[in-house]
Amino acid sequence: MTRPAPASRGRAGPVTHATLLRTYLGPQRAKVALMAVLLAGSIALEISEPQIVALFIRSVQLGSPEGELIGVALLFIGIALARQATLVVAAHASERVSWTATNAAREDLTAHVLGLDMSFHESRSPGDLIERIDGDVNEVAEFFSSLVVQLLGNALLILGILGALTVIDWRIGLTFAAVTVAGFVVLGRVAGIATGRWEDDREQSARFFGSVSETIRATEDLRSSAATGYAMARFHGHLRSWLPVKIRAEAWGSAIWVVMSLVFTAGTAFAFGYGGFFFQDGTLSLPGVYLVVAYATMLTAPMEALRQQVQGLQQASAAIRRIGALFAHRPTLVDGSLALPPGALSVRFDRVAFAYPRAGGDGPDARVLDGLSFDVPAGSTLGLVGRTGAGKSTIAHLLSRMYDPVAGRVLLGGVDTREARLRSLRSRVGYVTQDVHLFDATLRENLTFFDDTVGDDRLLAILDALDLRPWLDGLPAGLSTPVSAGGLSSGQAQLLALARVFLRDPGLIVLDEPSSRLDPATEAMVERALDRLLAGRTLIVIAHRLDTIRRADRVIVLDDGRVIEQGDTADLLDDPGSRFAELSRVGTVLR
Amino acid sequence: MTDPAAPAPTAAVLRRLVAYSPWRFLAAAVGWTLFHLWPLLPGVLGKLLFDVLEGRAAPGLTVTTVVAVVVAGGLARCGAIVGATVAWAGWYLRARGLVQRNLLDRIFRRPGAQAMPTSVGESVSTVRDDSDAIAMLGGWSFDTLSGLVFLVGGLAILLSVDAQVTVTVMVPLAVVVLGAQLVRNRAYRVRERSREATAKVTGAIAEIVVAVRAIKVADRQDEVVARLAAVNRVRGDAMVQDRVQSLALDSVFTSTASLGAGLTLLAAAGRMRSGQFTVGDFVLFSTYLMQVAGYTGFLGYLVRTYQQAGVSLARAAVLLQGAPPLSLVDHHPLHLRSAPPAAAPAAAPDEPLRGLEVRHLTHVFAGSGGGVRDVSLTLRPGTVTVVTGEVGSGKTTLLRSVLGLYDRQSGEIRRNGRVVDAPGDVLRPPLAAYTPQGPTLLSGSIRDNVLLGLPDDGRAEVAAHRAVLGPDLARLDAGLDTQIGVRGVRLSGGQVQRVAAARMFARDPELLVIDDLSSALDVETEQELWRGIFALSTTCLAVSHRPAVLERADQIVLLKHGRVLAAGTLRELLDTEPEMRLLYGRAATEEGVTVPCRPHE
Repeated sequence: MTRPAPASRGRAGPVTHATLLRTYLGPQRAKVALMAVLLAGSIALEISEPQIVALFIRSVQLGSPEGELIGVALLFIGIALARQATLVVAAHASERVSWTATNAAREDLTAHVLGLDMSFHESRSPGDLIERIDGDVNEVAEFFSSLVVQLLGNALLILGILGALTVIDWRIGLTFAAVTVAGFVVLGRVAGIATGRWEDDREQSARFFGSVSETIRATEDLRSSAATGYAMARFHGHLRSWLPVKIRAEAWGSAIWVVMSLVFTAGTAFAFGYGGFFFQDGTLSLPGVYLVVAYATMLTAPMEALRQQVQGLQQASAAIRRIGALFAHRPTLVDGSLALPPGALSVRFDRVAFAYPRAGGDGPDARVLDGLSFDVPAGSTLGLVGRTGAGKSTIAHLLSRMYDPVAGRVLLGGVDTREARLRSLRSRVGYVTQDVHLFDATLRENLTFFDDTVGDDRLLAILDALDLRPWLDGLPAGLSTPVSAGGLSSGQAQLLALARVFLRDPGLIVLDEPSSRLDPATEAMVERALDRLLAGRTLIVIAHRLDTIRRADRVIVLDDGRVIEQGDTADLLDDPGSRFAELSRVGTVLR
Repeated sequence: MTDPAAPAPTAAVLRRLVAYSPWRFLAAAVGWTLFHLWPLLPGVLGKLLFDVLEGRAAPGLTVTTVVAVVVAGGLARCGAIVGATVAWAGWYLRARGLVQRNLLDRIFRRPGAQAMPTSVGESVSTVRDDSDAIAMLGGWSFDTLSGLVFLVGGLAILLSVDAQVTVTVMVPLAVVVLGAQLVRNRAYRVRERSREATAKVTGAIAEIVVAVRAIKVADRQDEVVARLAAVNRVRGDAMVQDRVQSLALDSVFTSTASLGAGLTLLAAAGRMRSGQFTVGDFVLFSTYLMQVAGYTGFLGYLVRTYQQAGVSLARAAVLLQGAPPLSLVDHHPLHLRSAPPAAAPAAAPDEPLRGLEVRHLTHVFAGSGGGVRDVSLTLRPGTVTVVTGEVGSGKTTLLRSVLGLYDRQSGEIRRNGRVVDAPGDVLRPPLAAYTPQGPTLLSGSIRDNVLLGLPDDGRAEVAAHRAVLGPDLARLDAGLDTQIGVRGVRLSGGQVQRVAAARMFARDPELLVIDDLSSALDVETEQELWRGIFALSTTCLAVSHRPAVLERADQIVLLKHGRVLAAGTLRELLDTEPEMRLLYGRAATEEGVTVPCRPHE
């Protein structure tokens, strides 16, 4: 239903402003054109207003009857109302265009980001991505919806006013064009400096409030360390360094007003001077003088607005650049074409080496796995044991093809993970992570991951198998009850995660057992559920508790990415000299 | 006695804030008032120009004079803008800084772990945003004054030109503007809807981004994007409606200039024909009418600023917790030119610790009823006392109540036989130092966090070593000087806990108080840390359930449901308390120790 993201359409070359605009504004050409026509119309009306007043003055001078004067006045009011109506309609069109375009961009960007590798996600903080998908796209939305209309509108208005002044007298037009250009040049310079100063100010402000909020959060630590005086000194220090920056920023900010004030003064002085002297030497009539004064007064407001909008344009284009850069990222995992066989999947690691890509992309990668080989027959259970950093989770990541091995092969049911279709692979491999991610949504949506093609009967069957039926019946709205991360115990969350996985009928389950303790009742439920649902599936469990390991047919003890021991669980436990038996006595590696 | 959380009277707050830096305030007030009154000038000058041209002006006035006044007025305005802005910035930051300083000071005086009257987030927002709203009162005062002068002055000028036209134009215009203002106030419902829809979209995106791995593993990319699309559509519709509605309302205000000019033409048609109303008069009217739109917005701003200040003062009063409301604006130095003088080093204890007795200590949480009740224990110098018990048995609450980080509700604490009235101000360095379970560090170097203002005389290195930070520091590029926090390295939970332990050791206290270290430390590191603590032979009160620690403790205090179930050595407790056997057994299995019923000697 969503359009393919511009980057994924296979179009050559970088994602630029132009491609983004074409992708998202192209389909709405008609609306964009309507918007432009309305805008031009409203500006023509605005420029005609002083002409009507001039007509009125002329009629007064000619001694026209009062009825005619009233007619002219009503015409003036009519034009003013029509102008506002046009503006509102234009705004509606531009808002529609903008939200349609940016909603599509937001969805495409999300789909694109979801398609990128885990190594990409691990190098970015979620906050950063939210800022791109939400913050930057919003800025672009703002730009399309109000800025474009106002930017173009004000630019056209200024041109129209200058044109009207030129029609009255070319010398006046030329003078005002010069004032406008000079005003813009100076304004641009001053605003450029002011922006820099404001950025300094924002930085100081962020540092100041960052520190304040930190110290408030750390009250317990500061009080018990007798360091509240230190925190106050920090506060004073930050305030002290902020003061001069703030004053400089305010002063430069006010310089923008000063320039506007000067432009206004120059415009008024020229209008009064030209009007006065040209009237006195007979070049201009009294209505003509009125037009000059009226247009001169109209000139300042769009100039200031235009300056702000140009600034907005720069911000939006920085946002567009960042969005483009995000679209330009490509996934490195290439999808395969083979489907995994049905039924329980055998697993084979064949001299697998792996290193996580470094965030910066430089420096030697530390090998997490090095020449790892092992086999898990279809339908059997394997326990993985080893201390943190031994490579257990990495094995899970390779099995669900979050990453590809650096060397060697991972085979699932005899198919190399690189040659398997990702869709097929991920539907056949169920991975239950330690921390279960719950969405702020209903229980049903949390179970199906928003897939509304899954029928309730299947959900109920799974919940039955997990002994969760009594719990479900206790929920106020059954499957439609909203659940959230905070509302469930970790045991319940674990059971829901199992339900999610079994819903997909996987041939291999990778279970990263939570290291925190579940309450005994829940633990027993999990055990029973596994017994019932594991039939005909392969299980690889990253185990932290002795009980769990005992249920495994075979155990592999990992250290530093290598197998240091493997064998049948019972044999290893019985062999007092085995590493596994020793570990289960000392116990430290199980944590 | 008035209600302790009653907000300070706005006028009194304003007076004391102004008095904090009166000359800056005066300069800003004069500058801004001139700035606001200036728009009266162009209208009068425009009328003057046309009067000159039509030969109605006073003799001696020429086009040149009018232009000269225009230029002089414009230049004067520029001066007023710069002067007023700089003076205002200086005053504003001082006034706001003063409010913030007083709020922080108050926050730091309260028992450190006590739930604030508001959430931490709200307290931060009060210090950040409410201080701004309160300081803005200064600007509000002269804005209001000059706004009134402008309004009265403008109306007086218009009335003096032509009372009849003024009334005919202004009354309908005022009705339209007021009506639009009323509708605008109601329009917030649509605004609320679009805000909710926006929050939904932001929430959906945040969820997706945080759950990338889960979504990929489950292969549900398309489904979650479809869900985003659904909330996106709702938001898009709400936003379009919201924006168009507010734009339509705004257009009523922006069209007042044109409408007013049109009404003037209508009202003056007859009088202009007879020469009672001149072109100059029309220019004056239309120029002033251009200000009407701006000023209705301005009046709205004034009302909002004042209301906002009232709300903010109320919020600040809550945070002041019983201090006189006006202490919010008490004058204190802000040390804006140079650093404040260093605080005097804390006095060494008058006599070494001979014993700390806790008698019938009670702190119960109002909502849950959890906490500790009637806890008594005695710490002898040089011994290690370990508090243990199930999750939720009150271990952390006990430590915090002893240290005065919670208000105790009853009971007493005696040091060397003498009652400690305010443990929060006494049982802190150098008498006692504390490692909380979830410490909060500040942005800065690890060294800064260990020292927190103590002299850097090599103690940071010693303390870091004691806290078993050595191997971690060796891996960091800059060792102790590594920057942590927002702009620096992110430490793991275990590292944070050990930096806090180093902070405790650096204070060289006579009593170490340590909350459970096991949640974030691996067993080996924790054991090394404990070996160091036992070797120090400093008096120590700690929470732990590690068998190795329990075995070496001089005294174990076993808590259950907030009460002391029993106290004694591990052997004694294992013999007498089934609960102890249960806890010890479970802890031992968890560590994989083949479970003995009692510790092997």
